[in-house]
Amino acid sequence: MEEQLKRNFNNLINNLPETDVGKESIKARKIYLKEFIKKGFPNKRIEDWKFSDLNQIISSNVEEIKFFDYDQTQTKFDQSKIIKNFKHNKIIFVNGLVSKIDFSYEEKAKIEVLNNLTEENTKKIGRLRSIHPEFTYSDENPLISLNNGLKFSHVKLNVKKNYKFKKPLIIYNFTNQEINSTVVNLRFDLRLQEKSALKIINLFNDDSDNSIVNINHQYRLGKGAILKNYKIDHKENSNIKYFYNNIDLDDDSVSENFVFSKGSKFIKHEINCDLRGEYSSAFVNGIINLKNSQHHEIKTNINHLRRDTKSYQLIKSVLDENSKGVYQGKIFVNQHAQKTDGYQLSRTLLLNENTEFDAKPELEIYADDVKCSHGSTSGNLDENSIFYLMSRGLNYQQSRELLINGFLLDIIEKITDLEIKDLIKNIIKIKE
Amino acid sequence: MLKIENLKAKIDERHVLRGLNLEIKTGELHAIMGPNGSGKSTLSNVLSGKKGYEISGRITYENQNLLELGIEERAHKGIFLAFQYPLEIPGVNTNIFLKSALNAIKKSKGEKELDAIEFLKIVKEKALKLNLGEEMLSRQLNVGFSGGEKKKNEILQMSVLNPKFSILDETDSGLDIDALRIVSDGVNSLRNKKNSFLIITHYQRLLNYIKPDFVHVLINGKIIKSGGPELAIELEKKGYESFN
Repeated sequence: MEEQLKRNFNNLINNLPETDVGKESIKARKIYLKEFIKKGFPNKRIEDWKFSDLNQIISSNVEEIKFFDYDQTQTKFDQSKIIKNFKHNKIIFVNGLVSKIDFSYEEKAKIEVLNNLTEENTKKIGRLRSIHPEFTYSDENPLISLNNGLKFSHVKLNVKKNYKFKKPLIIYNFTNQEINSTVVNLRFDLRLQEKSALKIINLFNDDSDNSIVNINHQYRLGKGAILKNYKIDHKENSNIKYFYNNIDLDDDSVSENFVFSKGSKFIKHEINCDLRGEYSSAFVNGIINLKNSQHHEIKTNINHLRRDTKSYQLIKSVLDENSKGVYQGKIFVNQHAQKTDGYQLSRTLLLNENTEFDAKPELEIYADDVKCSHGSTSGNLDENSIFYLMSRGLNYQQSRELLINGFLLDIIEKITDLEIKDLIKNIIKIKE
Repeated sequence: MLKIENLKAKIDERHVLRGLNLEIKTGELHAIMGPNGSGKSTLSNVLSGKKGYEISGRITYENQNLLELGIEERAHKGIFLAFQYPLEIPGVNTNIFLKSALNAIKKSKGEKELDAIEFLKIVKEKALKLNLGEEMLSRQLNVGFSGGEKKKNEILQMSVLNPKFSILDETDSGLDIDALRIVSDGVNSLRNKKNSFLIITHYQRLLNYIKPDFVHVLINGKIIKSGGPELAIELEKKGYESFN
């Protein structure tokens, strides 16, 4: 793996834009790659990965790993995959490369968008570097190290004070058969300045086979900023994904997260929220809906670091055939975070005896005046409910679908934006 | 319409029905009364096809062997059970559920399915006729409903699905006088020469509102006495003990 990585790294350096090939940058990348080589892909011996042995999943699904192979033609995409009749801004990644950036609905003076592939103004990049370091502190997470070392696309968005986006932003993550690399490493940074607001939909649409997609999103919310972030992985595909979100919240800011996890062979959504400002709040609502031998995980770290902060997490899973779902939810409350209100609940329907769901709730609390709770339930569909519905004329399949739809509906109802709620219902085919 | 011959049912090695015979003709309304544990709910479950029972005997419904039909097929052929404890189904809108159910029945008969507007017209009409508020239709099925509301909802479903043979399993239990009247008025308004009813109850009280053609006493899994409405009054006076 090391030899392959070295060869691919040289290819990466030769193709990077000039702004990113400074000696310092290359040196840093090499350090991160060394970290990655030392650890390799995470395996079940690492506590955070005990339910999802990524190393094993990769070795049994991917024959040979090509870490980086650049070819400009890879960024073509099928226009029919763009959402119609829904006005939105776009960032389109195709096979890990930036294909298109379009913010035509917004006021140009209120936002700054930087793409490392096209940006020549190093001063601007320097300014944004101070907001988000070019490399993410890896905290011994080998996938972050890999992303730091090999990221080729890095888009940065800076939203100025008081500016509220007129239309949502859809970040399309496409892969297709034109892909040359096995591994896709991409990065997106968002800075929402004081009292600004943005809604993002991260939409996956994969047509490649057995790709490894490693995405690092860094969000920083200023005082009173609001970020609503919806992540949709609905289309069936054989890819293996790690989607890391780090959210840093200042006073009175709000981060609403919604995860719909259904399409990929494997995906781990990791959401790290640092509630650094008083009265800041974070919400994570998620659906894991699996069949076949899919394996998905949602892992959260909600860190309450100041007083009067709030977090709420609700994860509902429906597992069929021989699929596996995992939810590891951690609430951390430090000694300053008095009056914290933290809640998490996981509910799972196991439709088949070959399914597995692992829930690991963790509460780590160092303040004494807090309200924190967690709960986890799992079970099959209620036979009496099925009998009730069938006795009215519905067949078994219809009754089952109605019950599953009903089970998941209350998570969808938590989406606070009506237009996006309708769009998502339409994409994921959940009925009211 | 329905003929039950020597029906025996066993669940978890326990004999619940022990050779029950009953015939209900088109247009008739029969009441079955019996103490706790006599097999009343088992009878309604077996008639509507609930799984988990070991069954012997014969049930003929409109010249077919009922026991060969699945739960939903029985519903398609006009059998309806008003549940003793209607289930709460979170996230399922009452209107949408009822429309799917009605259309499933229509489809099985080769009739045209209704669109949302046609359906709403029918359901509103029925709700008005039964003196039931429409607002329960837009709520999640039975979720947070009071006991009385759940029973009223059963009657509304019955009225919309328009069954040939309806079984009411202790529909009167837990109802106050006003709710009892609404439920009884509902049943009475649906009675006609083409459909039949089987009313299962503990108490004679309901039969003051719904006049049965026949009353049967079910004890220990068997019908031990049958008669007219006067049998219910006798039962109320003497209690089940005297029939043992």
